Amino acid sequence: MAEELVLDSAIRDWVLVPLSLVMVLIGVLRHFVSKCMSSQPEPDAKALKESQIVLRARYLRAAANYIPAKSFRMRKSYFNNEENGLLHVPKGQGQNVQAQMLSDPNMAMDMMKKNLSMIIPQTLTFAWVNFFFSGFVTAKIPFPLTQRFRGMLQNGIDLSSVDVSYVSSRSWYFLNLFGLRGLFSLILGEDNATDDTQKLMQTQMAMQMGGFGADPAKALGAEKEGLDLVQHEWLLPQIEQRAAAVLSQILA
Amino acid sequence: MALAHDAADAKKADDPLDSLALSAENVQHNLRIAYYCRTFLSIVAGAIAGVLGLTGVYGFLCYFLVMLCASAGLAAKTRFNTSAFFDSWHRVAFDGFLQGLMSFVLFWTLVYDIVHIF
Repeated sequence: MAEELVLDSAIRDWVLVPLSLVMVLIGVLRHFVSKCMSSQPEPDAKALKESQIVLRARYLRAAANYIPAKSFRMRKSYFNNEENGLLHVPKGQGQNVQAQMLSDPNMAMDMMKKNLSMIIPQTLTFAWVNFFFSGFVTAKIPFPLTQRFRGMLQNGIDLSSVDVSYVSSRSWYFLNLFGLRGLFSLILGEDNATDDTQKLMQTQMAMQMGGFGADPAKALGAEKEGLDLVQHEWLLPQIEQRAAAVLSQILA
Repeated sequence: MALAHDAADAKKADDPLDSLALSAENVQHNLRIAYYCRTFLSIVAGAIAGVLGLTGVYGFLCYFLVMLCASAGLAAKTRFNTSAFFDSWHRVAFDGFLQGLMSFVLFWTLVYDIVHIF
């Protein structure tokens, strides 16, 4: 059953290479178009300030042991005290204002635009491939596959005696779709518009850090409790002995 | 290609004595460089497998061989002192192993068809 089919080299010249080339070019085009069209949302001063405060509190927690106990307590009360501490959120305040402003209109528009800019070129290219390049064997996959893939990979070809490795253009299109992601990350750099996983992660991160909805109040409260929990243990008293030990270990 | 130059830029982590203190930004930079190396090498591995006419299991063997060579090369570039550049040695050896698989299969199919079938 594994006869070698002889395929016309015109297929190679006019289908394989042009299809890959077209997909690369469309990806590059889409990347630059999305760069032109992307609207940078204006950073909200209050949300930015709050995220910076949270960062400062986190640094304080991480490096608490390098400063004397009194300085640490002073900083901690600056953050945590009940009247005007930075991390103290009066009960009903933080949530309503930001929930409406930042979350739904702008974010939803952004995500819809990004999704559309990904879906439309893919759909158009798929339709183009189906219209022009259907009904013949396009390529041979170098590794053997089971019979179950036949329906998926060979949909234009109606002969059941052809080896499953001979696939139609539709499967070549899908192979290109997945395989060119690596190439795009090389030629377009990290932040390119073709990588869906990257974009999902970015929108998730933007949603977490942009601080909309109940998030800032919760983040501040969490930081405050974390700061309350820190046990201060000053590392510096024994520092001369430890430095001497390390140095003697190196020089020995 | 700028790969060798980029790998030479792989920055040292902050304090070689204290293994807990690694500069996160540098580690990320190094990991990104390793990812680029692997992507490029998976494309090259696809071309190699296609030109040699490997089919089936041998082709995938070729891919894993090239990935192992990539890990060895990265380890040699850090002069086998991976804890100074990455946070764990098995991260640099096995991270991104399977991410280049789709690119490999694409270029393998392409080159194999161009050279052998047509």
